[in-house]
Amino acid sequence: MLEGNVVAAQAAVQLNDVCKTYKRDGQYIPVLEHIGLFIPQGEFIALMGPSGSGKTTLLNLIAGIDRPTSGSVLVHGTEVTALSEGALAKWRSRSVGFIFQFYNLIPVLTAAGNVELPLMLSPLSKKQRRERALTALRIVGLADRAEHYPRQLSGGQEQRVAIARAIVTDPHILVADEPTGDLDAKSAEEILDLMQALNREFGKTIVMVTHDPRAASRAHSQKHLEKGVLLGA
Amino acid sequence: MKWMPFILKHLRRNWIRTGSTAAAIAVCIFLFCTLQTFVASLHGALTQGVVRLVTRNSVSRFVSLPNAYEERIGTVPGVERVAAANYFGGMRDVNNPDSEFTNFAIEAESFLAMYPEYMLTDAEEKAFLGDQHGCIIGRALAEQFHWKAGDTLQLTSNIYRTGKPFDFVISAIYQTDQVRYPGTDDAILFFHHKYLDEATGRRAGVRTFYVEIADARQAGVISHAIDDLFENSEAETHTETEAQYSANVGVLSGNLVFLLNGIGLAVMFCILLVTANTMSMAVRERHTEIGVLKTLGFSGRLVLWLVLAEGALLGVFGAAMGLLLGRFLIGILPDLPVVGDLVRLFPRMNVPPAIAAAGMIIGMSLGLVAGLFPSVFAYRTRITELLRRA
Repeated sequence: MLEGNVVAAQAAVQLNDVCKTYKRDGQYIPVLEHIGLFIPQGEFIALMGPSGSGKTTLLNLIAGIDRPTSGSVLVHGTEVTALSEGALAKWRSRSVGFIFQFYNLIPVLTAAGNVELPLMLSPLSKKQRRERALTALRIVGLADRAEHYPRQLSGGQEQRVAIARAIVTDPHILVADEPTGDLDAKSAEEILDLMQALNREFGKTIVMVTHDPRAASRAHSQKHLEKGVLLGA
Repeated sequence: MKWMPFILKHLRRNWIRTGSTAAAIAVCIFLFCTLQTFVASLHGALTQGVVRLVTRNSVSRFVSLPNAYEERIGTVPGVERVAAANYFGGMRDVNNPDSEFTNFAIEAESFLAMYPEYMLTDAEEKAFLGDQHGCIIGRALAEQFHWKAGDTLQLTSNIYRTGKPFDFVISAIYQTDQVRYPGTDDAILFFHHKYLDEATGRRAGVRTFYVEIADARQAGVISHAIDDLFENSEAETHTETEAQYSANVGVLSGNLVFLLNGIGLAVMFCILLVTANTMSMAVRERHTEIGVLKTLGFSGRLVLWLVLAEGALLGVFGAAMGLLLGRFLIGILPDLPVVGDLVRLFPRMNVPPAIAAAGMIIGMSLGLVAGLFPSVFAYRTRITELLRRA
């Protein structure tokens, strides 16, 4: 038991016998079956698999935006499945950074405004929020685009802003769902370089879902899902 | 307050939709404020003058009473003063019925004594009382026709046909105090009943006797006492409070108030549906963004609050627009054809602060209720569901 706790404390992510079943039109559809996964802190892992294999669902469980049907999900020692909705939202705001395939920036906010958004939930002053947002934008190389709206940015730049938004709260873990899926090859390479730098220089644990073998090759390790089952587990 | 810029940015996202929704609420609040102001003016007319009674012919207010009744009414215990008053129906141009405005033949001394609302200086009152052809007019009337004290004018009555117009000299312009006596009409011309009586060969009679009483609580008893005096006579009387009389004259009975409120409620309900539909569309279009917000750690409750606040703010914008529109239109209503004739029965109509506040609250409530369903949608829908809809 003690040993288990120690392992959990060292793990960035630990999934124990996680199952996820959806109910659609009265039918139960198993999406993930008995998943066990251990991701050490500072790891950069790629989750791969065909469409419908459950990659995004697994990512959602790790990020605490969905709950497993059974099993437990521990992220940096926190039993995510045991948290209430409110506590889970608070935990997400502090502990997880999200990078979406389609960037999902808020169009009415500038780049800085988008990056500042997660900090709105913190007790920071407006000035402090702005400073942190600019720091995050500097890290992703877009400090000069702080006042630009998403429509004024290229896809690659939008994704950089999304990454800045993901890291601005200094979370333990970054989760990325096909972060290069909507980008041209050059922009995709830049984004992957950036993610590698975040992992290497800032020690961020990154879990990335991808179809792209080239993107996956940038990760330290790769996990494959097939029909809801983690291969080689 | 830190969320205000965020909410405003969302409202500014689609100007046409926000503008048209706010305009719909504005129309609703405009109607509410206008109708309620109208009702309030009517209510003001009904509740003022409780120490004054009006005695008229029981058959109709268009049938005169003998002049001699005045003295007998004055003998009823509790009666302080009696003043004859006839609506004159005077027109500036006999060929143009639209040139008619409000004018009364009054028994000036006692009438002015019981109506402190119409204010004259001692010198003005003396001048008026001393000139049988003299008349006094309100400021609005003076401004409308560019009349001033000393001017002469002619009016032809559509009630009292004498074959020639009546000549008047403006003795003074009476003042009103809308704070002490809200709703006092300053668009009336008053002249001497004695002039009317003599010009008509003493056939004019008296259409109404205004009776001032000492104690408002005795209004019912005194009314009965006056009517009992003339029971079984050729001209029986009907006495009521001035408020009741005004209500009957204005045709604005309780049913009309009910109708006005009914119209207001129906309009409000329609606008609510339109606004709710628009808000729902606006929120459903943003489901991905709402999913992102919740992913970033915005709790369902916070998202619900933000959508509600957006609705409330929209409602407040609309209400403010409606109020401004209401104030503007109420200002010009008296000058409009047809409607103006009715509105002029309630002079100095303006949106009272209480109705303005109620309008703002209703506007905000409309926005809140309209935002309720979309906000509950945003609150309840799971993040994965919101993101999957993208």
